[in-house]
Amino acid sequence: MATLARVIPPNVRPEQVFDFDIYADPRIDDDVQGSYSAVLKAAPDIFWSPLNGGHWVVQRHDLIAEIVKNPTVFSAREMQIPRVENPPFFIPLSVDPPENVPYRHVLMPKFSPRAVSEMEPRMRAMAAEIVAEVADKGKCDFIHDVAARFPVSVFMEVMGLPLERLHDFRSIADTYFKARTSEQIQASSQQIFGIFNELLDYRRDNPGTDLLTHFLTVDMGEGRRLSHEEILAMCFVLFLGGMDTVTNVTGFSVQHLAGDPALQARLAADPSLAGKFAEEGLRMFGVIGTPRLVVKDFDDHGVAFRKGEMVLCALWQSGRDPAKLDDPDRFDIDRGAMPHYNFSTGPHLCLGHALARTEMRILVEEWIKRVPSFRAVEGAHHGFRIGTVIALESLPLEWTVA
Amino acid sequence: MVRVRYRTADGIEGAFDASPGLSLMASAKAAGIDGIEAECGGSMVCATCQVYVAEAWLSTLEPPSEMEAEMVEYTRHPRPNSRLSCQIVMSEALDGIEIELPPSQR
Repeated sequence: MATLARVIPPNVRPEQVFDFDIYADPRIDDDVQGSYSAVLKAAPDIFWSPLNGGHWVVQRHDLIAEIVKNPTVFSAREMQIPRVENPPFFIPLSVDPPENVPYRHVLMPKFSPRAVSEMEPRMRAMAAEIVAEVADKGKCDFIHDVAARFPVSVFMEVMGLPLERLHDFRSIADTYFKARTSEQIQASSQQIFGIFNELLDYRRDNPGTDLLTHFLTVDMGEGRRLSHEEILAMCFVLFLGGMDTVTNVTGFSVQHLAGDPALQARLAADPSLAGKFAEEGLRMFGVIGTPRLVVKDFDDHGVAFRKGEMVLCALWQSGRDPAKLDDPDRFDIDRGAMPHYNFSTGPHLCLGHALARTEMRILVEEWIKRVPSFRAVEGAHHGFRIGTVIALESLPLEWTVA
Repeated sequence: MVRVRYRTADGIEGAFDASPGLSLMASAKAAGIDGIEAECGGSMVCATCQVYVAEAWLSTLEPPSEMEAEMVEYTRHPRPNSRLSCQIVMSEALDGIEIELPPSQR
């Protein structure tokens, strides 16, 4: 990325330029979102980074909402920075409204607030089982052993993937999210499509009440059925959107919790605080940036957006906007409001917003029940990645087994 | 200004002013009313701005679109008098409308 020339088009004013490498900025440290917030305090609310092909970055809460709610100017059909020849196409993510709406409606029966609340007992049992596997060991890598495993189980439940395939699927998911080169990504996404193809064949002959059966049978209007390609594109975005994201936000939140024994004690004494903890974790440790392609010239807030330019909505900055709350870089579960757009907003609001919140809350409740007091292993290197997705690579924890 | 009277699930009563032309959701958010999330900001995709409209006022409202009727079914605690507050446009005819907030939106 860094080998690309710096790009500053003539519509960008000098004071709007702020060099920032979203893939490898050296100023980002182990406190990933905290250092992001600190570095970008010197940048305008909407700025142009000349790196990575050149693109806009929008870093304020209310401005992000304006961008993502204006799809006729800011299209979701390309989400790669820098732009590439054949960008991946996700359904419904890459489809601008109103065409995205029918797809979202196909998915709502499994992702709605009501559906999620009905799934809660099953999810709690899965979380408890995962925590039980490490609770007596006195140590674990929270990312690998807990936070990455739970969303995979939940995904299998939602999709209706048979549990005997859990092990297979978990290891393919693991490979996918660890892949760095495009060859590795290609190879493991082929494996994922292979599994979905196999399961779709199975559900054609053995319909159930699961999402795959629903995809195969749903009437899209006037008797139209979803095509095989549409179904695969939807399965893949659910896979991408539902796993790494929950893993990483939970990981960063628990990383914070590991250094705050008083908060651990409060959560252990009153598990009903887990929901507030999860929400404050979401606000502080967003992991998604959502790119948009400018599809027609647009002037607003003193910025001349020009057709063909990319815009990154840095959602992780939305919760750290000093205009929206006091002392935004402080973790405080007793705040009243916790404004943030880490699920975005508008027509592409994360379909899994209710599911992700419930997953985080339940996992924290089940964890603190078995491991009420824990700490990060001293001196251990955690590792992180930045980009349009922020990831925490490991979180070695230790505790005294009672 | 159009007066909206509300009751929370815990039975706490209150009132706020809404602006004609604005949605009930936007008015409630502007007034800082807790209990309406409206994650998607009125795009009708989140099902987190549900309210229960008092029976006497239901017939004064435009009936829900097919899509709203479907989305209401996905809310956490749907009832026959559930509506999405982002789809109710405030007008003088709704002055004094009574609504109840659900126990939770998600």
